Amino acid sequence: MSQENQHSRPPGQGRPQGRSADTGSPRISRVDASVASPVKFFFASALLWLLVSSVLAVITAVKLHLPGFLNSCEYLTFGRLDAIQRNVFFYGWASNALIGLNLWLLASLGRFEFRNGWIATLGGLIWNLALTVGIASVLLDSQNAFELLELPRGVALAFFVAFLLAALWPAVAFVRRPTGQVFVSQWYILGASFVLPVVYLLTQLMVLWCPTNGVLQALVHSWFLQNFLLLWLGASALAAVYYFLPKELGTTLTGYYLSTVGFWTLFLFAGWTGPATLLGSPVPLWIQSSGVVAAVMLLIPLTITSINFFGTLSRDSGWTRAWNNTTLRFVAFGLVAYTLAIALQIAFSARSLNALVRFTSFAAGQQQLLTYAFVSMVIFGAAYYILPRLTGAFWPSAKLVHLHFWSCALAVVGSVAGSLFFGWTQGAALAAAKPFAQTMHPQEALLSSACAVLFLIGHVAFALNAFGMLTTCSSSTEEARQA
Amino acid sequence: MNNLNLILAGVFSTVAASFGGLLLAGHAQLGALGRAPAEEGGPLFPALEPGLAIQGRQVYLQLGCVACHTQQVRPAGQGSDIAQGWGVRPSVARDYVLQSQVALGNRRIGPDLANYGARAKSDAEIAAHLSAPVAGSAMPAFPSLFNQGKDGSLQPNERGTALIAYLKSLRQDYSSPEAKLKQ
Repeated sequence: MSQENQHSRPPGQGRPQGRSADTGSPRISRVDASVASPVKFFFASALLWLLVSSVLAVITAVKLHLPGFLNSCEYLTFGRLDAIQRNVFFYGWASNALIGLNLWLLASLGRFEFRNGWIATLGGLIWNLALTVGIASVLLDSQNAFELLELPRGVALAFFVAFLLAALWPAVAFVRRPTGQVFVSQWYILGASFVLPVVYLLTQLMVLWCPTNGVLQALVHSWFLQNFLLLWLGASALAAVYYFLPKELGTTLTGYYLSTVGFWTLFLFAGWTGPATLLGSPVPLWIQSSGVVAAVMLLIPLTITSINFFGTLSRDSGWTRAWNNTTLRFVAFGLVAYTLAIALQIAFSARSLNALVRFTSFAAGQQQLLTYAFVSMVIFGAAYYILPRLTGAFWPSAKLVHLHFWSCALAVVGSVAGSLFFGWTQGAALAAAKPFAQTMHPQEALLSSACAVLFLIGHVAFALNAFGMLTTCSSSTEEARQA
Repeated sequence: MNNLNLILAGVFSTVAASFGGLLLAGHAQLGALGRAPAEEGGPLFPALEPGLAIQGRQVYLQLGCVACHTQQVRPAGQGSDIAQGWGVRPSVARDYVLQSQVALGNRRIGPDLANYGARAKSDAEIAAHLSAPVAGSAMPAFPSLFNQGKDGSLQPNERGTALIAYLKSLRQDYSSPEAKLKQ
């Protein structure tokens, strides 16, 4: 297949470009070859971190019902391992994978042969080294009191430089490419790649380098966290959905013209939703109310992405075809999760509902719905599509693909449903003035341990398959092709 | 929408809007907040922390206590924190102005600690809880904060003593201009 055919552009709007969907050929295009080494590096690092995070998640889940488990050494105390697990998951797994995915999408959509790929790989190396140092510091020394800012502040500088090299520089290089047309995936990637370093740097300055006064730190942190979750993880994963859904279904997006509005409203309002997570905290009421208004305004981008995605999936037996396609099965699962996650965020920014569930496991369930059931599942789906095109090999085992999907899907459904249910019942019991100690459910910790083990099984299956392919580039099997 | 400069400028504006609207405006309102007396001529609150408590805060952060414990009491209409006995009044921004790093927290696997110092009866009670939490609690023991005494009992070591001093210093049971206690 010639270079031209692989990247021919149909005239229809909303149909992403790149290699046509029906070619399962493991040959590597020039565009893919130009980004292969950095993207493979990012995916391989992400996978290793995912395995570390899964093992830590099992340990922390068990510790919640057996507090004495691995407690003889202070370094293995719950507070440290919990922070490490979270940072490994978000900075090690999700961010590495999304940097790689964004790089591939930019190159693929722009028919952009990426030069100096080593700069992105260097960025990736710095990123992973900084994360390792940061984790060692949390383990052996101390941590900060803010979720996802626990790592020492020196690490943040390294992260910033690494991100500029690995993600922002390719984005800027992309802007200077010769072809003119821009697709919705590219807006999301550029937006996400711009928001993360800016927000991260400002937050580091205002919380760790020159700390602002008292509770303002918590306000800055809530602003950072919502930007990180919705505009870095969320927007990057949406970019992948906007690419893979029409591409793999071989169709155009329903209501593509609306996607501009969806993009701008998401970026406009998501940054303001931070204070909606601080309802009842000692921050000014007008700030809390701004957060609630912004959270409700997320209805606009949510409606538009729902029209775009579910409209497309509802046409021409799209759901069935998505179910029978490995990539789309993960992506469609992620889409349902995204819709639920944002809908829950809107509903539970209402003061009365928020008062009931705040500080319980409900919020953890909401976060997992967004970051695992949506973002991670979309990354898995994308990996199933991209890695064969970068390695020129097929996935070694279809059985492992099934094992991966089913164990992760069951685990995340069980874990999120458990967190939401037990969080809600605990909130209701607290509202009925039951003593705190009597509102905890021992079943919750058992369920989350079982789910953590299931996650680990799924991730090991995925890693075996992926590393099998990355290391041996084994010959194709018909079974794997059909998976 | 093919102009990439326009996209970047637009995204920059959205970030700038939320940064300015929330953080700079919040800073304008609370940035200079300091200690104040509840009534004219009264003592300044929040009270200065003892040096040992400041060291103890580092131990609190080190061990990641914030993973399970919050330090904020919501108003009566917003959650049942006061009914749970975690505070006598809601937390206000002024309560935190002396803290170099605010550990508000966002998850309660254990109870809120904003006013723990007022609830705890003695150092010995806190030490007993840290060395051997009650059965059924999800909290682990922290043997590294204790040394074995000559009589075989556990005595808090330097870090343990600092942490206990910190926990005792956690009090929000005073009147402040924004949250007066009912007489």
